[in-house]
Amino acid sequence: MQVEDREKMAFNGLLKAKAGEGAKGSGEGAKGSGEGQQPLKRIALVGNPNVGKSVIFGLLTGKYATVSNYPGTTVEVTQSNMTLGGKRYLVVDTPGVNNLLPMSEDEQVTRDILLAQRPDITVQVGDAKNLRRTLSITIQLAEMGLPAVLDLNMEDEAMDSGIRIEKEALSRALGIQVVGTVAPQRKGLKELSAAIARGGSVPALHVDYGKAEEYIGKVASFLPPANISARSIALMVLSGDKSLAPWLKANLDDAGLENIEALRYECSVRLGTPASLYINEMRLKKAGEIAAAVFSKVPQRENALIAFLSKATIHPVWGFPFLLVVLAGLYEFVGVLGAGVFVNFLERVIFGEYLNPMFAKVFELIHIPFLAELFVGRYGIITMALTYSIAIVLPITTTFFIAFSILEDSGYLPRLAIMTNKFFNMMGLSGKAVLPMVLGLGCGTMAVMTTRILEGKRDRLIAIFLLSLAIPCSAQLGVILGMLGSLSMTAMAIWLICVLGVLLLAGWLAARVLPGKRSEFFLEIPPIRKPSLQNVALKTLNRAVWYLKEAVPLFILGTLVLFTLDKLNMLTLIEKAASPVVVGFLGLPPKATEAFIIGFLRRDYGAAGLFAMSRQGLLTHVQSLVSIVTITLFLPCLASFFIIIKEKGMRVALAMLAIITPFALAFGGFLNWALRYFNVPV
Amino acid sequence: MDKDLLKTRAAPETEKRQFEDEALESLWELFEKEGPSAENVSLEELKNSSLGNISALEGMHRDGLIEISPGGRVKFTEAGRLRARDITRRHRLAERLFADILALNEYEEDACRFEHAISPEVEEAICTFLGHPPTCPHNRPIPRGKCCKLYTKKVTPLVASLADSQVGEDYKVVFLRTPMIDRLASIGLVAGSMIRLVQKRPSYVIKVDETTIAVEEEVAKGVFVKKHES
Repeated sequence: MQVEDREKMAFNGLLKAKAGEGAKGSGEGAKGSGEGQQPLKRIALVGNPNVGKSVIFGLLTGKYATVSNYPGTTVEVTQSNMTLGGKRYLVVDTPGVNNLLPMSEDEQVTRDILLAQRPDITVQVGDAKNLRRTLSITIQLAEMGLPAVLDLNMEDEAMDSGIRIEKEALSRALGIQVVGTVAPQRKGLKELSAAIARGGSVPALHVDYGKAEEYIGKVASFLPPANISARSIALMVLSGDKSLAPWLKANLDDAGLENIEALRYECSVRLGTPASLYINEMRLKKAGEIAAAVFSKVPQRENALIAFLSKATIHPVWGFPFLLVVLAGLYEFVGVLGAGVFVNFLERVIFGEYLNPMFAKVFELIHIPFLAELFVGRYGIITMALTYSIAIVLPITTTFFIAFSILEDSGYLPRLAIMTNKFFNMMGLSGKAVLPMVLGLGCGTMAVMTTRILEGKRDRLIAIFLLSLAIPCSAQLGVILGMLGSLSMTAMAIWLICVLGVLLLAGWLAARVLPGKRSEFFLEIPPIRKPSLQNVALKTLNRAVWYLKEAVPLFILGTLVLFTLDKLNMLTLIEKAASPVVVGFLGLPPKATEAFIIGFLRRDYGAAGLFAMSRQGLLTHVQSLVSIVTITLFLPCLASFFIIIKEKGMRVALAMLAIITPFALAFGGFLNWALRYFNVPV
Repeated sequence: MDKDLLKTRAAPETEKRQFEDEALESLWELFEKEGPSAENVSLEELKNSSLGNISALEGMHRDGLIEISPGGRVKFTEAGRLRARDITRRHRLAERLFADILALNEYEEDACRFEHAISPEVEEAICTFLGHPPTCPHNRPIPRGKCCKLYTKKVTPLVASLADSQVGEDYKVVFLRTPMIDRLASIGLVAGSMIRLVQKRPSYVIKVDETTIAVEEEVAKGVFVKKHES
């Protein structure tokens, strides 16, 4: 969803209320759909980032939403139904927010849901260790007039740090139900469900904004009618929420807008600080007062291993060797075990010795040559599409997803941002961009969506461009690592230098070409946690299933394209036409053209084609290296291309395509020339 | 130094005092340039310097701020030296304040005006606030004041930016001056919050309550803190 759409959404939500219709929201199953059915009650899960909203969502609805140990895992809204005490609810999981005044796109998603959809119950999930921050959001829910239930999650961690919270006293102070949970252990889940069934109530919290009160009242009197309290919108306006601009402009005349501008100015002069800061401080002060009354802490000794890892992973010196160890481990697990042992077994034994010969026999018996060729021929659905996707790519992606899930859940990834901030600065990005970039090693499509956590459109654009250009996805990376494994360490080094060099150069150039300034580095670092085996397994399974659903049809489609081209005798024609580039310039055999054709559909499929060729001894070492560098830089796959269109529009997507394709080929040609000219032994 | 400025002054005594201050400051700078041994220069040299204005010298001589030896060499009297020292100190402290805290690029003119306007109490407060800085932004030494001497053994600033603070220590946030201010506030880091500086390199890591955040040096420079005495 693009920003503009979301602005419209908030704006429509408010407008509808004005027209007296009541907000319906855009999701399926909006309330009051009628036809004798009970109206579906809406529940929104909101809270600070990385407090476990998605775990709670999974437990309530039975639907898995990706869970990781870093802020910003959820960038899109996930929704699902649940039944509780005979009543049906629609539960919405939202991206984490620190403030209902949005500062990045993922935060705006959440704020807009609260504004436009007006959930019947807002279940606020909070980190029991961070009561003050939690309550600062509760205060905002109170101001918006939203019925809420507070769930203090991660009670076990709070306990380990010696924190005790008197939940009953807190409940009395807030005027809402307060429950405690340890979500991964399902502790407190019954109590939470019961609290939801009893229904939420608007928190009885009132913050006196002192000197600003006068202006809150005045601004409120100028505002058009809306479906949340005028006071809360006045507070947003005084805080300088730009996303409200379209709505204000549409509903107020110039004089009204001028009045509001003047009041905003007067207010900040009167306060002597920006109103947003003052409002935040007053909320935190109130939150701090409530917290202090129900909260106690007895300092505890930290777990020695966790304390050590917390330090070592971000140590100015030891952090870097630590990263190398992690990378080496990743290579051993994915490149050697996944791409080596597992692929060998599946491709050579299962497919090579059993499945493919068996199917070949079956089609021999059926005796329809066309079908035989279609399924078990040179470009056969079984012998090519399924062999590539299931025997080569699946084991690689699965091992990668296992390793990656462990890294995600341990809390290591955001720490990587600390180590690499300076490197990303050179590319016009802040260290925060390490999250989408590393996620890009999993899957480009997910990563493009994750760029939403970056502040600033410019940062997002650069990150998306670099993802499309130089970040290979897990499938492709695994295949590439597999191919590099059969070459030398020099080849590995050259590939790495090429990709990192291109990344750095492209980022550096993009940062200079694009107007504006990068956003400053700011990232919340979650604690180091022991990954839960269950979540790693569940997440890997989900991702593997998702891969099969997404990739296998495209692999089959690509095979059909090659099959048709081959039948029409056009494959040789295309190979001939492409030969000046592929053979002359890149120095590859004509058959490599096929890999690039299917590479248009999915880069990993193209890479798998090259992998198969190199295993059959059709590529020399130099050819292998040139081809994998070229395919690494080659087009983003079809799925991530669609996501780029969705996130940034057709123009940007096409522009990226127009830059990336010629560049990848040109770079491949240059590498081919350089390797041969300097006679590099690879 | 700034003659147009002096012309606009109304009261004649104030004008004269400021005029003298400027001349003393220039002379201090001149001596500084000549090195520590040169506490006196010849009138000839003075004529070629920014102090070419002889009437200023005459005035200072008359007021007993400088001595002129029969050989035509000029040096401070004790009273002159102290006043020159004070005015230079105030000027350079003002420069530090404008350059570091207010992040101004053009501050020279204002520093010239400021130096005349502040009382010794304000001067001490600024010096303490800045952590008794040893040099001005142009790297010339700031003459030490009484407030600095109390701390000669260990210069502990009252308020310093996180960039100048010690790793592993607890601090109380005094004020923030960074575009990140709203982001920081949204995780609970506002004036008055207690924080711990976990590390500085390769990025700054700060702990607020149970929240850990990473920021870059630019942001840390805008977080001003006071040592927390437990």
